[in-house]
Amino acid sequence: MIKAENVHKSFGKLEVLKGIDMEVHPGEVVVLVGVSGSGKSTFLRCLNFLELTNEGVITIDGKRVNQKKDDLAKVRAEVGMVFQHFNLFPHKTVLENVMEAPIMVKKVAKSTAKTTALEILEKVGLSDKADVYPNKLSGGQKQRVAIARALAMEPKALLFDEPTSALDPELVGEVLQVMKDLADEGMTMVVVTHEMKFAREVADRVIMLNEGIIIEDADPDTFFNHSTNERTRQFLEMVNV
Amino acid sequence: MTVPELFVTFYNVFMETYKGFLEAGLLTIEITAIAVVIGTILGVIFALMKISNSKVLQTIANLYITLIRGTPLIVQIMFLYFGITSVIILENFWAGAIALGIHNGAYIAEIFRGSIQGIDRGQREASLALGMNSSQTMRRIVFPQALRRAIPPLGNQFIITLKDSSLVYVIGVSELFGVANRVAASNFKQFETFLVVGLYYLILVLIFTALLKWYENKLDVDK
Repeated sequence: MIKAENVHKSFGKLEVLKGIDMEVHPGEVVVLVGVSGSGKSTFLRCLNFLELTNEGVITIDGKRVNQKKDDLAKVRAEVGMVFQHFNLFPHKTVLENVMEAPIMVKKVAKSTAKTTALEILEKVGLSDKADVYPNKLSGGQKQRVAIARALAMEPKALLFDEPTSALDPELVGEVLQVMKDLADEGMTMVVVTHEMKFAREVADRVIMLNEGIIIEDADPDTFFNHSTNERTRQFLEMVNV
Repeated sequence: MTVPELFVTFYNVFMETYKGFLEAGLLTIEITAIAVVIGTILGVIFALMKISNSKVLQTIANLYITLIRGTPLIVQIMFLYFGITSVIILENFWAGAIALGIHNGAYIAEIFRGSIQGIDRGQREASLALGMNSSQTMRRIVFPQALRRAIPPLGNQFIITLKDSSLVYVIGVSELFGVANRVAASNFKQFETFLVVGLYYLILVLIFTALLKWYENKLDVDK
C-alpha cells in the first residue's frame, strides 16, 4: 500500500532521514517509535508529501510518486493524515470540517457529503456535536473530529502523527479507542506515537527509528519482549514498559 | 473674543454652512468608500503576490509598496491626477478616489500579508493533507481566517482613509475640506469654520468606529 525506498531528507545541513526503507501492506497497522529527533514525524510527513524527500522513492498503492511532476493534491487525497494539534478549521462547524474536502476535492454533492459526514461523526461518537464550532470541543473530541474529517475522504491509508500527545491523560483513551476500531475494520495505518500500550495491542509491526534510520522492525511481541537491539532496550526502559 | 461670543459665531457658522457641508460630507463618504473598495482589491492581489513563490510577482509587489509608502499621499494624488487625466478624461472626483485607493492598496496589502502569514501553518497542512490544492486551501481555509484577523487593522486603515480623503481638495474636489476652505475664504471666520469641519470628520469617524465594533462583536458571537 505504502512503500518507501531509500528515503533521505535534510533540513539545511541537518540530515534527518538517512535512507529509510519501509513497506506497509494493505490492512496493516504499523507503529513508528523512537526518541524525539529520531526522524519519525518527518518520515511520516514525507509519506504524505508535506515534506518532500531529497532522495528516494515513495510508492502509494502501486504508483511511484514523482514529487516534481505529479499532482500531489491527488496523491494526498488518497492518504489521510491526523495531526498532533488536530488542526481543525476554526471558522467551520464540525460538520463543515468533515464535509469540506469531499465537496471541494471529490466534487461530491452537498447533500451526499452531509449524509456521509453525519454517518462518520456517528461512528466516532460525535453526531451531537455536528453544528458546534471546534473551540467548544475538548481535545479528545477535536481529535475524533479530525479523524472523521480524514475518513470522509475514504482514504486508502491513514497516517497519525502523535495523535494523543497534545491531549490531557484522561482524554487519550477515547481517541485510541477510535483508532483501534479503525484497525479492527482493516484500515491501513501508520502511527507515530508514544502510547506503547496501543503499539503492543493494536500494531502488526513496530518500527524503531534512531538518528534517521530504522534500527528495528518487528512484531510487537518480539519488539517489546525479546528485542536484542541495545538501543531498543534502552528506549523501552526509558518509556517504562 | 469671549467664550460666549465664540459659541455664538460658531453656531452661526454652523447654521450657515450645514447644507453645503452635508453635500460635501456625502462626497467624502463616497470617495472614502470607493478608495476602500479599490484599496482592498489591490491589497488582496498584492498581498498574494508578495507571499507567492514567484520572484517576479514578489518584486512587483515590493516595488509598489515601497513607492507608495515612500512618497507623500498629496504627491501621489497630484501625480496620478495629472498622469491619468493626461491620458483619459476623468472627473477630478474619480481621479482623487482612484489615487486614494491605490495609496491604500499598499497599506492594506501589508495588513493582509501579515494576517495570512499569522495563520498557523497546521491549517494549510491539514487542508493540503485532505487533498485540497493550494488555491482551494487559500480560498477556503487560510484567507477566511486571515480576513477575520485583519478586520481590526483594516478598520483602522479605513479611518485613516476617511481622514486622508481631505487631501483630494488639492485637485479641486468639493468634499468636506475643500468646501471648508472655500467657506473660510469667503466668510473670514477660519477658526470657526475649521472647527465645524473637524466636528464633521469626528462624527463620521465615530459612526464608523461604532459600526466596526458592532461587526467585530458579531463575528465573535458567530464563532
